[in-house]
Amino acid sequence: MDAADTLPKSLIAARRQFGDHRIAMRQKDKGIWRAYTWQQSCDQVRRLALGLIRLGLQRGDKACIIGDNDPQYFWAQIAIQAAGGVAVGIFTDSTPPEIQYIVQHANAVLVFAKDQEQCDKFLSIRDQVPDVRRVIYWDDKGLWNYTDAWLMSFQAVQADGQALDAEQPDLFDRSASEGRGDDLAIFCYTSGTTGLPKGVMISHANLLAGCDQTAQIDPRRETDEYLSFLPPAWITENVLGLAYHLRTGMIVNFPEAPETVQEDIRELAPHALLFSARLWENLVALVQVRMAESSRLNRLLYRLFMPVGYRVSALRFEQRRPVGLLWRLLQALGEFALFRPLRDKLGLTQVRSAYSSGAALNPDVIRFFRAIDVNIKQLYGSTEAQVHTLHIGDDVKFETVGVPPPGMQIQIVEDGEIWVSGATLFQGYYKDAEATAKALVTDAQGRRWFRTGDAGTLDADGHLIYLDRVKEMIALAGGEKYSPQYIEGRLKFSPYIRDVMTVGGTDMAFVTALINIDFNNVGRWAEKRGLAYTTFVDLSQKAEVYALIHHEVEQVNRTLPPAARVRRFVLLHKEFDADEGELTRTRKLRRGLLGERYRDMIAAMYGGGDAVRVRAAVKYRDGREGVVETMVRVATVG
Amino acid sequence: MDHATHNRALLSVQNVSLSFGGTTALNDVRFDVRAGEILALIGPNGAGKTSMLNCLNGFYRPDTGRILFDGHDLTRLPRHRIAQLGISRTFQNIALYTGLSTLDNLLAARHIHMRAGLLDCLLYWGRAHREDLVHRQIVEDIIDFLEMEHIRKAIVGALPHGLRKRVELGRALALEPRLLLLDEPMTGMNQEEKEDMARFILDIHERQKMTVLLVEHDMGLVMDIAERVVVLDFGLLIAAGAPDEIRHNPAVINAYLGEVA
Repeated sequence: MDAADTLPKSLIAARRQFGDHRIAMRQKDKGIWRAYTWQQSCDQVRRLALGLIRLGLQRGDKACIIGDNDPQYFWAQIAIQAAGGVAVGIFTDSTPPEIQYIVQHANAVLVFAKDQEQCDKFLSIRDQVPDVRRVIYWDDKGLWNYTDAWLMSFQAVQADGQALDAEQPDLFDRSASEGRGDDLAIFCYTSGTTGLPKGVMISHANLLAGCDQTAQIDPRRETDEYLSFLPPAWITENVLGLAYHLRTGMIVNFPEAPETVQEDIRELAPHALLFSARLWENLVALVQVRMAESSRLNRLLYRLFMPVGYRVSALRFEQRRPVGLLWRLLQALGEFALFRPLRDKLGLTQVRSAYSSGAALNPDVIRFFRAIDVNIKQLYGSTEAQVHTLHIGDDVKFETVGVPPPGMQIQIVEDGEIWVSGATLFQGYYKDAEATAKALVTDAQGRRWFRTGDAGTLDADGHLIYLDRVKEMIALAGGEKYSPQYIEGRLKFSPYIRDVMTVGGTDMAFVTALINIDFNNVGRWAEKRGLAYTTFVDLSQKAEVYALIHHEVEQVNRTLPPAARVRRFVLLHKEFDADEGELTRTRKLRRGLLGERYRDMIAAMYGGGDAVRVRAAVKYRDGREGVVETMVRVATVG
Repeated sequence: MDHATHNRALLSVQNVSLSFGGTTALNDVRFDVRAGEILALIGPNGAGKTSMLNCLNGFYRPDTGRILFDGHDLTRLPRHRIAQLGISRTFQNIALYTGLSTLDNLLAARHIHMRAGLLDCLLYWGRAHREDLVHRQIVEDIIDFLEMEHIRKAIVGALPHGLRKRVELGRALALEPRLLLLDEPMTGMNQEEKEDMARFILDIHERQKMTVLLVEHDMGLVMDIAERVVVLDFGLLIAAGAPDEIRHNPAVINAYLGEVA
């Protein structure tokens, strides 16, 4: 067979190299890690791909997959591609209307839906998706009594595949070898901060280039451990998980259940990890809160050695000066007493590549992890062009998101927008030529560029400083621009603040903020002080809680130029909620909608009132809708 | 499921009466639980529901009447014998080992199935080791079934109420019963937890053809999952039948509405 220019061919090549003597995947099941060798993994794909062919999957057909991170998900994706199809991932918490949109838009003819929960969603929209021939599930729990022939088990499809394999033993290899590098491999539907989701078309060549570019500077070995927990419908898991797995032989482990990820990470101590910036932030908050509740000895060690860690890492990374003998000695003690146990608790004992993505990561978070000897690197990218920039080796700067990997180019055009170019550039938006033409431009030299829509600048060393989305950079009445992301990231470093949206603009003299308290942490704080509260609404409006957050806002303001400081804020009576469309599925703020929704409050912050009456429609977990009416206070900061 | 498959009475309550001093808790109650069905026992507060359950698994001894389980008369049997016959239950006020993990609580319930002697266990070789593996497998199946992976090693006392109820259900299942008695498995739960619990009960019923006797307050849920309903009021059986019949039964409406008003 020719060079492995597609994912299925890469699997076949890896099977040939590693066969039955290397582990490809593991999944924790009933408390035990169960392993699949490359041979077994490839056999699974082979039977499944042939089963899909028997179900009539043609080259170029689309098939959707919705489910948690499981071996079956990866197998399904490669099998679809081996049969010549395009795999379309859907986020597991999507609602039936969202699923319906994607299935219809992608013209999917087959669907993989993990379990009863996902199958029920498809059954509820069945009449709207007549082109879907079968829904294939891989977890039969609760589906035993479903008799609908539309549903079919993974095993049944594979059994059909096996029968076909017996009739035509060369069909699988032939079908896989017909694939070409520039065939479409996956569609990633963007979370869509604006409008309907768009189907980003990505080829095999794109995925493999993305993996190879990054692997040059951050190689993996076939003995490396990786835990697959990022949503598999997301581009990142496709590149850093699946493509890396097939290309380098890295072992992919799958968590027992979505709720056990933290525990599984601890058991496995993966070599490579990518968390969203929020997750790293949450880990720091978690450590701080747990420490506050820990034994006196632990608190003492933490108080004693964290400053040592901070000091040593500042010397090493920021001032780039040699570390004296005394500090090295203290550091060694700290390693034994605090840093190593802490890393162990977090599953970071073996990590070589710890990445953060999704939003600008707070320097304080990076400093915290450096202090315990984990060097977090920032990674900046998009669905459309994968990794744009990242920190390489020890060349890590707080304020930047690093440099382009080999093969990528970036440029900043005049309005401050970042453009990127390279072999990872996507093939366009499915059935949307207009959006494609807007996003992809070809320059005079014939080079294709993706307009990211992000604003940034390059520093003297060629590092990219990411500011914000171009359209989110906000000029105040005085003309100074500020980055909402930056202020929000800073504020969210407080364990008591879960979410923030800053407000400002040319018609506004100063910056204000809508703040979501962190119900758990503030609740615990209140309980410690004997402060009685009933609900989220009640807790958020306590004068004491306002004083607590006021202090946090002042702390952050101290690091900002005067014009960019938060002058007034409100503590919202409810949390931002993805189910109400206030956040995207990756928990990004939908600013337009939020600005509209909380218009009265924003007006009150600029109007000078001390409180505002709100009536907010709320949707309860059981689907009922109701109205909350309450007074929300407005606080002014010094 | 059609009726023919579970016509046979697995449990037969025959003219059971029970009184505490001058108070009559149960008055000549008679009903059958058919093999393979979900039967709900409902009634207003103080109707005698929990007293009935307590008679079934030997906490109370009825003053008169008999309770037959698969041909055995339960009324004079000690509690552990009743458990060994295949009746296990959960409690209205959760009764778990709060200092142990979920896993250990479930393993403790396997006790009645353990055969290895003291010597075997001390050597932990051969029989004791093999047995351990089998029990762990059964317990892990239950953990998987009830989606408790994330709390496998959590100390039960630190778990929220809804999850503790689930652990208790798991422990009842670990006994591998033929009849599962559930005493208000959904009290104190929010809507989502209730729906989860209802789904688990239905799954157990479907998957293992388990016979379930359910005591519950939440009428809506009872009507959704039970195949037959038996209604008690002041110790008297006032109605028995399919959920729809019960819903429109004047005596039941009176008993419930009378309480509300």
